[in-house]
Amino acid sequence: MSEKKQQVSRRQFLNYTLTGVGGFMAAGMLMPMVRMAVDPVLKETGHGGLTNVSLAVEDITTDPQRIDWKVEQVDGWYESEVSRSAWVFKDENDEIQAFSPICKHLGCVVSWEGNESYPNEFFCPCHNGRYYKNGENVPGTPPLAPLDVYEQEVRDGMLFLGDAIPKGEA
Amino acid sequence: MKWKKNDIAQYIEAKEYIDSVLIPLVPFQVSDENALTTSTFQSEVIYILANEIEKELTGRVLLTPTYHYLKNSNKETEVDRLNYWVQDVKQQPFEHVFFITFDSGWKKLEKELDGTLLWLPGSKTGNLQSVEMRALIKEQVEQLGELIRSYWV
Repeated sequence: MSEKKQQVSRRQFLNYTLTGVGGFMAAGMLMPMVRMAVDPVLKETGHGGLTNVSLAVEDITTDPQRIDWKVEQVDGWYESEVSRSAWVFKDENDEIQAFSPICKHLGCVVSWEGNESYPNEFFCPCHNGRYYKNGENVPGTPPLAPLDVYEQEVRDGMLFLGDAIPKGEA
Repeated sequence: MKWKKNDIAQYIEAKEYIDSVLIPLVPFQVSDENALTTSTFQSEVIYILANEIEKELTGRVLLTPTYHYLKNSNKETEVDRLNYWVQDVKQQPFEHVFFITFDSGWKKLEKELDGTLLWLPGSKTGNLQSVEMRALIKEQVEQLGELIRSYWV
């Protein structure tokens, strides 16, 4: 057996070593280039553009509180920071609710208990639109749809919010 | 509503709900070099204020293009011109007209204006990005919104 064992010739040995070393060098050079080319793919977008709104989950109470945060937005002409707001609270099932404050009537900003005559409701100052605490519009007031709901996620005890989507489509 | 195509399309649909206009009054004068910083700064602030108020009250307020005038021009003439604006605006079912400005010159002529003047003292300079300035503007927007709403009741 041992005498039949192929001897590695000097030429072969040099070939193998050179290919090996060359391969390492090529990989070392190519890696950054490839990374750069596919950079956008590697970026962390897995979270659907959710933003940390600097609100700890334990600070969320059953009373809706208004929070404001900023997101980067690019449209055709401008790249800008836009501010977003939400009314955040825990409902009776201890689940976090985050509603968009934009009235579904004509887009004014609604506020929680914005009118003394309507406690426990969201109130729109423009045309007296009202919403129950669960976001449903009060029938007979101008809005015809419930308040939009933010995509949400809790990570490390912090609340992350994304885009507001019409209720029921989430 | 802003003076933009998309907003105006919505305005036409829902005319009867939008009964207020907001007209920013901003002086413009390049010749007076000492006042340039102040006037540009104040113009930026009034623009932000007007936009923020519009954002809060979109469904009932139309923000018109800014009314510009020369700082040293005769205010009486400007009042006349401005009232022409208002006359035209009122061809549509607008009930409330609000002017917003930092220029105290309008205050004396308030009674001659066909609308409500919201004059506020503005700071001469500052940093718009600073936390304090943002908080201040937010506060002002809140109070101005409240004031405008009080005219609706």
